[in-house]
Amino acid sequence: MIELEKAGIPTILIDFFDQDGFVDSEAQVLGVPKLRYMHAHRIMKGTEDVERFIDEMFDGITRPLTDEERQVGGMWRPDESRILFEGSLEDAEEFYMQAEMNAYQGAPYARYTDGLPIVVPTEERVEAMLKGTSHAPNEIINLQADIPVRAAPEAIGNDPTIHKGEPIRYMPTRRVATVEQVAVNAVMAGCKPEYFPVVLAIAEASAGTGDGRNGQGFIVSGPIAREIGMNFGFGLLGPGNPANITIGRASKLMWRNLGGAVPGITVTSNWGDNPAVNTGFCIAEYAGGLPKEWMGLNEELGYKKEESVLMVTHPGSFGIGQHFMPGVYRALQKDGHGAMARYLGVKGVPGPHNWLDYLCVGLWADREGGITLMMIAEMAQHLVDIGFKTKESVAEYIWKKSFEPVKEYRMRGAPDFATNGWRSIERTSGKPWLELDDDYMVPSGGDSPRANLILVCGGDEETCHRFGGGHGQPYLIDNWR
Amino acid sequence: MAGKIYKCLNPTGIQMPAQQFPLAERIDKIDGKTIHLNICGEPDITIRLERKLVAEYPQVNWLIKKTNGIDPVRMSEEEKKTVDAAILGVCW
Repeated sequence: MIELEKAGIPTILIDFFDQDGFVDSEAQVLGVPKLRYMHAHRIMKGTEDVERFIDEMFDGITRPLTDEERQVGGMWRPDESRILFEGSLEDAEEFYMQAEMNAYQGAPYARYTDGLPIVVPTEERVEAMLKGTSHAPNEIINLQADIPVRAAPEAIGNDPTIHKGEPIRYMPTRRVATVEQVAVNAVMAGCKPEYFPVVLAIAEASAGTGDGRNGQGFIVSGPIAREIGMNFGFGLLGPGNPANITIGRASKLMWRNLGGAVPGITVTSNWGDNPAVNTGFCIAEYAGGLPKEWMGLNEELGYKKEESVLMVTHPGSFGIGQHFMPGVYRALQKDGHGAMARYLGVKGVPGPHNWLDYLCVGLWADREGGITLMMIAEMAQHLVDIGFKTKESVAEYIWKKSFEPVKEYRMRGAPDFATNGWRSIERTSGKPWLELDDDYMVPSGGDSPRANLILVCGGDEETCHRFGGGHGQPYLIDNWR
Repeated sequence: MAGKIYKCLNPTGIQMPAQQFPLAERIDKIDGKTIHLNICGEPDITIRLERKLVAEYPQVNWLIKKTNGIDPVRMSEEEKKTVDAAILGVCW
């Protein structure tokens, strides 16, 4: 819309009332601050709503401009200082913890933090953090390699690539940041300087801000995980490990501070995130636990074993999945006893057995798409022992389990959106969706086996865990050392 | 004795300066104009809206593009030259 207004084409935007803050922010940042918009109703029937707003809609493109709308010009240049506060540490702690009333939430919202106390980012502490990288403090965070654009072709034009050197914009406010400003957030999160290359790779990945609604997390693969003491074993999703926790927290502080995100004001984010990961999510692969036949995540993503890589993931969509107690799993594999053995029909037959057949029951009952399947080393080895010589073969096996008839797939919630109203091509057949028979089998577990990600991590308890899946965009951490 | 005074840094990044533009001049009437209707998602409103506009405003030349996604389908440069106004429905 902004580009149309700049091109001399009058426009009117129909949005919801709670999106006004985001629209105002976008309009200002992109240069047409008086953009006209109006509201559709969230509850009223569509037929009634159109009757209600149609006059206002035409008014938006025909009503002559006001003086205020006509007299806009000049350069918008917000006043932002490098030094935010001067005073004692005690006063600084209080300053950074300030919160503002959020009209939409009806509750205070932290202005510079995630709501928890922070480490005050003094010049001295930030300078120490900067020793964790060779990059200059005033360098604008930018892409270190070309990456593909993830959007519909009709929406992005002809160039499907974002190019190396492109400054990273943090959504929802499209800010940019220097290496020093990322260091400020890393200090506030409690990071150590040796963690800083990982934090900078997260910054290159737009800090997980996505389109502004957040929800992204990060998986680290490669030697740096062990170098900086990341937890990839017992309790890796829980509290206690300084590297995992503070690096993950830094991403959320960047979302708040670099992205300028305020739910209900600058971004429509109804739930905020999964409560299990709302102070950040950064975990590591257990490279030492990989069966010798399987590649590490870094190698899967096209890098070398000795290279350290950060991959974007979506832990906000955690699922409970098929549940079993560790002892039930052990009973299955040792002697063919217990519930899993009964279900799989291998009672009394010693393992290894294919536990994926148990896991996949009902796996896509309430949510389509791929999964990230976290499993411990022992369970990975069992899969290798029964013939899964690669992670890809596991991913493909799970994917094939997800097939269901078109008539069932059409009842799911997201495909109306994902198939562009069923006007697109179904990938496995190469045919238009609307030409497929009701009984034609399609995958509910993503477009291809690559929608699934297999991750070896965790301690020794025989359980697995899962969340939203797929191979996300990788970023080379070593570029930021 | 006064305590040490620390300089503490700003974590909020940089908002890049942006040239500000006024709105485009509005059209004086819709009759005889080419109006671009760009629809994203939410068919309960947009199906009704599209039908009503086409049926009840035949004097307008409607250029309609739609997607169930959140990124609007873009007009070509040639289409932009022929369009007099645009309505964008983002109700996803």
